[in-house]
Amino acid sequence: MSEVAVADPRPEPAPPAFRVTGAVVEYDGRPVLDGVSFEVPRGEVLAILGPNGSGKSTLSRAMLGLVPLHRGGVELHGVPVRRFRQWGRVGYVPQRLPAGGGVPATVREVVASGQVARLRRLRLPGPADRAAVDEALAAVGLADRARDSVHELSGGQQQRVLIARALAGRPDTFVMDEPMAGVDAASQRALAGAVAELRRRGHTVVLVLHELGPLRPLIQRAVVLAHGRIAHDGEPPRPAGEPARPDHDHAPPDAGAPLLAPAVPGLEVPRRD
Amino acid sequence: MTELLELDFMRRALLAAVLVGLTAPAIGTFLVQRRLALLGDGIGHVALTGVALGYLTSSSPVITALIVSALGAALIEVVRARTRTSGDVALALLFYGGIAGGVLLIGLAPGQSTGTLTSFLFGSVTSVSEEDVTIMAALAVLVLGVLAYFGRELFVLCQDEEVARTHGLPVRLLSLVIAVTAALTVVVAMRVVGVLLVSALMVVPVAAAQQLTRGFRATVGVAMLVGVLSAIGGLSTAFYADVAPGSTIVLIALGVFAAAVAAGRVLRRRRGRAGAVRRTRGAAALGSIPGTESGSMRT
Repeated sequence: MSEVAVADPRPEPAPPAFRVTGAVVEYDGRPVLDGVSFEVPRGEVLAILGPNGSGKSTLSRAMLGLVPLHRGGVELHGVPVRRFRQWGRVGYVPQRLPAGGGVPATVREVVASGQVARLRRLRLPGPADRAAVDEALAAVGLADRARDSVHELSGGQQQRVLIARALAGRPDTFVMDEPMAGVDAASQRALAGAVAELRRRGHTVVLVLHELGPLRPLIQRAVVLAHGRIAHDGEPPRPAGEPARPDHDHAPPDAGAPLLAPAVPGLEVPRRD
Repeated sequence: MTELLELDFMRRALLAAVLVGLTAPAIGTFLVQRRLALLGDGIGHVALTGVALGYLTSSSPVITALIVSALGAALIEVVRARTRTSGDVALALLFYGGIAGGVLLIGLAPGQSTGTLTSFLFGSVTSVSEEDVTIMAALAVLVLGVLAYFGRELFVLCQDEEVARTHGLPVRLLSLVIAVTAALTVVVAMRVVGVLLVSALMVVPVAAAQQLTRGFRATVGVAMLVGVLSAIGGLSTAFYADVAPGSTIVLIALGVFAAAVAAGRVLRRRRGRAGAVRRTRGAAALGSIPGTESGSMRT
């Protein structure tokens, strides 16, 4: 009888959310990514860390097919990115909201536009779609700003709008490019809350970060890039000087942010403007 | 106003101007957000090459203008995507190429001169025929139909092209849809109202509307309203004051823009105060620190 509990240890083998093999990206012959390989299993919350110019942003964009690979390959959910069609499963959060020509758009319009992959051409949004937008706005704490113009919001609030836009399409695979850069404390908390909820639901989240900061407890694994190569892949790097005992209370108020273990070379001081 | 409507030619002129006033700002809103505000003018000048080509080959200048300007608009997208050229530089290349090609080719066409091109540049809204009005109406239906059909995707594209790609949208096709729709609008309308009027109505009403609105849809709506009101106001003023109608329409639209800038200031200040009250309340309720960074318009 005791055999029954371990009867079938292998459920349906789901392909990893991302599989990057030997990715090389060059700008004008200069390699920005130089043979990067790793996999992101489904349901993992992974951080891509590294100093400016290490290629972390390029890597995240290459993982979505936004940057052409010189060599190597990227698969999304088992499909090469060029042939991938289930874009409704993917939520991309870019670094910032481009101002474009300055035509205003309300917070709600921008967030609702995240449903474009599953709501196309002449179909009006139904009650379920509107509910998903409301939910996304509530998840980032911007329900009361829905009718405001996004360009009237602070940088941190704009970042929250971009995350809400990704949430509104209800994808299960997220790529967020430096969601915490230049973000005020209230928005950082709102963003961390949203990521915690995604993790609780078992979604895959890839975060490009300058520093682990308030997201530290949510990160399961970190890939640290240096000069376009993986310098570290595994446990998130511990901040330097962090005591072994977690109940130590002489830690500086912002411990965990810029100081990192000496094993991890040159992680820069975060920009907080 | 009633005496205007009793005159056949004025009735047709009003209809044509109102149709341009409706159509041009609708496609114009997308062009402005895509930083291609001068696309209308650029296409108008490329169309001159098409017009000259028509005379040179003894075919219909409107048809050749349509083909050449649609190609030109598509070429802008290719230049933007494939070469290291920003949108405004790509536009400038198109613009100069269009004029140069037009002047060169019209000189080769027997019995034609640059004067032929001038009539296409400025048009004549008061000599619009019954047939012209029908064509303009068909254009309006087509353009507004295309925008309604692709609207949601075009909005995403104009917000952020990379995000559009991660939604799996056909970015190249959508870029072409915008460019070709703009080309169609300009070429069909330029013969009737002139390049100046149609390309101005693609941009000025949008610039006025965005002073007052907070949403994209609202901007399209207000811009169309400004376009129609400028068309009616400009034509009637031109009729009574006996001045050039196209220019009057454009100047009235610019007047609306100036008024909108002033009104927008007042409006935003009032909203700002209301928003600040709401924000402090919300922050207190959450027990959180309100955001201190001012709104950024980074590009």
